[in-house]
Amino acid sequence: MDLQLFYSLIVGIFVGGTAGFLGSLMITKRMALVGDALGHVALPGVALALIYGFNVSWGALPCLALGIVLIWFLEMKTKLPMEALTGIVFTASVAIAFLFLPESEVSTALVGDISQINLSDTFISVILSLMVFLILRNIFSQMILINLSEELAYVEHVEVKKYNLIYLICIALIVAFGIKVTGSLLMGALVITPAAAARNIARNLFQYSYGSLIIGALSCAIGILLFKSLGLPAGPLIILIASFIFLISLVFRKK
Amino acid sequence: MPNLVLSAKNLNVELGGEKVLEDLSFDLKEKEILIILGPNGAGKSVLLRTLLGLMPFNGEIQWKKDIHVGYVPEEFFVSSTLPLSVKEFFRFKKVSQKQILTALNYVGMETSEKFLKKKLGTLSSGQLRRILIAWVMADLPDVILLDEPMVGIDIHGRETIHDSLEKTWAEQGQSIILVSHEIGEIVKKADRVLAINKRKLFFGPPEKVITPHNLAKIYGSSIIL
Repeated sequence: MDLQLFYSLIVGIFVGGTAGFLGSLMITKRMALVGDALGHVALPGVALALIYGFNVSWGALPCLALGIVLIWFLEMKTKLPMEALTGIVFTASVAIAFLFLPESEVSTALVGDISQINLSDTFISVILSLMVFLILRNIFSQMILINLSEELAYVEHVEVKKYNLIYLICIALIVAFGIKVTGSLLMGALVITPAAAARNIARNLFQYSYGSLIIGALSCAIGILLFKSLGLPAGPLIILIASFIFLISLVFRKK
Repeated sequence: MPNLVLSAKNLNVELGGEKVLEDLSFDLKEKEILIILGPNGAGKSVLLRTLLGLMPFNGEIQWKKDIHVGYVPEEFFVSSTLPLSVKEFFRFKKVSQKQILTALNYVGMETSEKFLKKKLGTLSSGQLRRILIAWVMADLPDVILLDEPMVGIDIHGRETIHDSLEKTWAEQGQSIILVSHEIGEIVKKADRVLAINKRKLFFGPPEKVITPHNLAKIYGSSIIL
């Protein structure tokens, strides 16, 4: 197997798996579209990275941090609904990015390009994905409890604000690394679709969260292998595979 | 007073500029069952949430040191699509299988493995309420605050649960604060009754304070408007 394909597969499996696992929490907290919106918020950073030739994830991260702080700040100041503010910030980000994003890089920014990935990028993606996965696994039951009843969680000594912050940082990290795989336009699906499929067939939290992880990793692996043999872009293939698995899950849906 | 679990003095709570609780003082003793009565909108739930540190307030709330408090909120909803089993819900509390089964027995629920595997969101509202009470009691808190715990449970179920809970509380020596908007059987089981409508209406053992005159204070005042 050629080395480049091997690196792509490793990154896809680790980032896709962790994104799936994260998605199982995001759907539960009715935050399914946040991944999508943040993918767009990252776009100016992605554009800069593509122009100056560094890893898009490093371009995405500061933009995500800035975007999240801005949304939080605007919400405090205006008390407008979070989703309206997120809408303003993410569309403004897309608009800014398109002022300087070179035309030749549009497709890479929007649907990703995992074919040019080196050893150090692979290494960093794997380490960070593993780290985020372990953190999420650790806070998983507390996050579900917060979602069921914030007050109950508080009384049970769950530090709600701290957990929400950790969770948000995990989302930002996974969006930044997922953009490398599926681009900013499709990043949202990498979080939502595997988790939605798993939710259809799972009987309990364990099956749900690890089912999401497996479907996320599997979609990435199959998508990347198809990209190699068909020559079509990997990002869209990955998302279509995940969507196909979602359709199959509907057939086996548990009442 | 060494046997006090909780002491609240001059509690004042405002919500959106409106006074919800005014100058409220009371206490809770060890092993005591305290029932809080009052019409809808009297501030009963706000009082519980204030005691738990969930609301800003003026005044003084003093819990006994290192006390383990359990809380059964009035509203508890689980989406029917959330794949969370009964057993996993209990595991959030790091309790053993034996503790789970014991807690389910407190509220008269079945303890089969099949039931433990059921999705929480597919239970009836009455079953869910009982599971929540059992969940709160599973790790044996010293004090339990219950907000309208019998809402959604039929009359027969209420009696069964009351009897079994009362027995359990007596055995374990827990202190209980139970909020109810209706006066019924439950009041007879209380050691003391605190009636509020923003302010304290009356406070004392039921045999002394549950009088026609006092009851008119609770339910009369809500009818005038």
